[in-house]
Parts: sequence; C-alpha cells; structure tokens
Amino acid sequence: MTREYDVRRMARIILAIKKAANELKEASDGIQAVDRNVDRISAVVRILEINVSDVASIEE
Amino acid sequence: MKGRIALIDKKRYWNPIIETLPREKFQKLQLKKFQNIFAWAYEHSKFYRKLYSEAGIEPGDIKSLEDVQKVPKIEKPMMRAIQGEDPYPYGDMLCVPLEKVTTYHQTSGTTGQPIYQPETWQDWEWYSETWACVLHSHGFRDYDRVFVPFSYNVFIAFWGVHYAAEKIGCEVIPGGGLNTEARILKMRELRATAFVATPTYVLAMADTAKTKLGIDPAKDLQVSKITVGGEPGGSILATRKRMEEAWSAKVYDAAGTCETGTWSYECLAQCGLHINEALFLVELEDVNTGEPLLQPGRVGNLVVTAFDRMAQPCIRFNTKDLAEWSTEEQCECGRTFRLLKGGILGRSDDMTKVKGVLLGPTVIEEIVRGSPQLGDEYEVIVLKKGDTDDITLKVELIPEYKGEKSSVEEELMRELRIKTNLRFNLEFHDYGSLPRYELKSKRFKDLRGKQ
Repeated sequence: MTREYDVRRMARIILAIKKAANELKEASDGIQAVDRNVDRISAVVRILEINVSDVASIEE
Repeated sequence: MKGRIALIDKKRYWNPIIETLPREKFQKLQLKKFQNIFAWAYEHSKFYRKLYSEAGIEPGDIKSLEDVQKVPKIEKPMMRAIQGEDPYPYGDMLCVPLEKVTTYHQTSGTTGQPIYQPETWQDWEWYSETWACVLHSHGFRDYDRVFVPFSYNVFIAFWGVHYAAEKIGCEVIPGGGLNTEARILKMRELRATAFVATPTYVLAMADTAKTKLGIDPAKDLQVSKITVGGEPGGSILATRKRMEEAWSAKVYDAAGTCETGTWSYECLAQCGLHINEALFLVELEDVNTGEPLLQPGRVGNLVVTAFDRMAQPCIRFNTKDLAEWSTEEQCECGRTFRLLKGGILGRSDDMTKVKGVLLGPTVIEEIVRGSPQLGDEYEVIVLKKGDTDDITLKVELIPEYKGEKSSVEEELMRELRIKTNLRFNLEFHDYGSLPRYELKSKRFKDLRGKQ
C-alpha cells in the first residue's frame, strides 16, 4: 500500500513550534538562559522548514 | 493528493520528501528559493546591492530559472577584496548584525588569502544539515562510531562532519590534536567503524599504519565506510581502489566548498555525484565563454548558489571546479536529484598549458595510482628551460617491488604519452621521501612564473 507524507500537516506543526518558541522569548523578559536557548531552537526550526515547509509551500 | 508526497522506504533517505521529489517540482522549489535568497542579499548586503544595481537587476526581475543567468557571478577575489573592512572582518557582504555571528571559519587558503566565513546558529545548523544528507547517503547510522581525524581549527575542513554525524546519532570521536599514529591507535582502541578525510589523508593514514605501526588497516581495524572530500580523488577510480583496498572499506565521495556548503554526494549505488537540488542551485557553464551547459557531453565550470545560507549568502559562486552532467536520467537509489558524471574532474585554475597542451593534475593521478609498483605520493614540477616548458614527474617505488626500475619507467612513460600527449622527465625517489599531506595536497607545482 502506498502511503504519503502529509507535508502540509507537518508544516502546520512546525509553524506552531516556531510560534511557541517566539512566545517563550517574548515572555522571558530578556532572561538570557531562555532567549539564547530559544535562538537555538529557532535555528533548528528553520532547518525543519527547509526540509518540510518549503516543499509544502510549493504544493499550494 | 495535493500537499501529500508518496512515502518511499523512509529509512533509506535522510529526507525522502526532498530526495525523491518529482523533478518538475524542483523547478518550482528552486525558483522560489532563488528569489528569496536574491531578495535577502539585495536588501541586507551593501556588496550584493551594489553588484546587482550595477548589473541593472533587482529582485522583481527573477521570474524564471533562465533569469538566474542574468545575475552576476561572484568569485573568491571579490570576496577577498571586501574582507578586513567593516563590519570587521567580513566586510559588507554580511547580511546580519555582527552580534548574530556565533562562529568563525575560513577556507583552506590553498588558492590564496583564505575567505572568512561567518556563521549564525541557523547557518551552522544548515551547514551540518548539508553534511547529514551526505553521511546518511553513505550509510552512516546511529550505530556507527565515527572518527574525525583532522585538526579542529579555523579551517572549516570537516567541522560540519562532526556535527552532522552527531545529528544522525553516530558516536563521534574528535581526533584533533593527535598525530597520525595516535589517531590510528585510537581508532583501533575504540573500534571506529567509519571516518571522513581527504583522499590524500586516507592513503597517508594507511601508509603510516603499515610502515610505522605495523598495523594493516584492512585487517586490524574495523572501518567499513569512509567518506572523502576536499579533493577529486574519491571519484578517480585508481585512487578509490587504493583506498578501498588499503582499508577494506567502501569509499564514498562528496563535494562542496567552505563558501557554498556541501552540495553533492554519492549514494550507495555510486553512479555519480547527486546534486542536493533542494538546498542548492548548481549550474554548469563553459569555462571560456560562460555559456550555460544544460546537456551532458561537455566539461564545464560549476556555479553554485546556496539557497539557505543567510549571514554571508553565496549566490552564483564560481567554484572553478570542473564537472560534466551525467547521461543517467535517474539513479537506481531512487533519488531524483540530477547527477554529475565522475565527480569533480579538477579545477579550471589548476588546468595549465604545458608545451601547448592543456594538462590537469587528475590525469596524472589516475596514471600514477593505476600503477601497482608505485606508492601513493607523487609530485609534478613544471619549469621553463629557455623557451621550452619542462615537466618532471616525481614518484616513489613501493618497498615490496623487487623488479627492475626500468620496466616501470618504460610503462609509465608510455601511459603518460598516451594520456597527456606530453613527454615527462621521470624521477624515482626513495619511498617516503616525497611530501605527505594531512588535508589538501599540493602536488602540482607550476614554477614557470617564479623562476
């Protein structure tokens, strides 16, 4: 049976992670231990976008 | 169904979504990504804005992949020219505030003053991702113990490999700060299953193991796969054969540069270098005229764009590496990426005319490493004697060879004449006396302008 990757669903989840990371940074009031780790999360999220969301965007 | 992509043997690929994307979708993806990086560089880098403004091109002008050819190329001298200026030391190619730069690396400097490479967290994640695609396609998995035998320093070399292997889940052994003998002993002690190095160093390590430690890597070590890069040797069959025999391991090739990232790799089927078209745009063009080469049959210069490197974008970078499109429509591995035939064939700035004949170092390497009586190392010296070019090939006989030197000499002269159309002076040196290299070699020495 041929299955398919649901890239749109994955892209939506990646976007939610991105938003959550940004919200965490906004809520931190500048705590370095939070902000710097959010920056690293965001860097990895961008790689997820490259791997999934960028492809999903051409499917639209 | 729109938005869904067929599921194909997911563990075979690092990312099946992009590695098996239908070819027609790559066109759309690449255009969109090129438009994005072009606009980013235009808006955030004074260097790029000036370059593009002078060429009369702006982001809205890129409407098709054909339009990409209107975009001016960049080369190393242009990058060197802006280094050392503000924002120091990168100059105005930089697209992010200096505060966002988290790591410094540089090129090897084999072709001149090294190019500085600023990395943000995001760019560094991206760089290791390019290598993760490579290592996964070479069969690196979470059960591998990967030895990284290079001096971790400012030269980018195999830094990306370290983080990519970690990302795949491998156990990484950082082999910096050790000499070759200590590295081999550590590989044996820890039972390393894989490593990554230049072809030059893969052979040098095997030679050191045998001659200085009495260790035969093929029997005494447990390495089953080796990834090579940084030099053309991985796709030179005679060199690959030597490496595979010396280590009793499979050797896989990869290609990239510090400026661009690692944009191509072999798969287990080894039918050429796959271009990672989801992360890079790779163009081939005629070395002299710049005419785009779209079909197989001619060797050209590789021009590479990294779609997602943001701090110091690399847009239409003339790598000076030479390659040729493969005639293979699709590889048996199932990847839909376009293929290069025979890997990197050399560098256009290494090609030199000797006695009116165009000569590249790779053809000499193929001949020397194809001769079982000769050691791995060689050196080519080109001099001017009066009005005539004079070319000398220095080689070493292996200690095991007990036959006549004259018969090797005769065979070598014949091969050189057939394959290069040139007459060489041959010099036989004691085994182990020619220079050895840890990373990139410098075996071709054209001294005509320096006499």
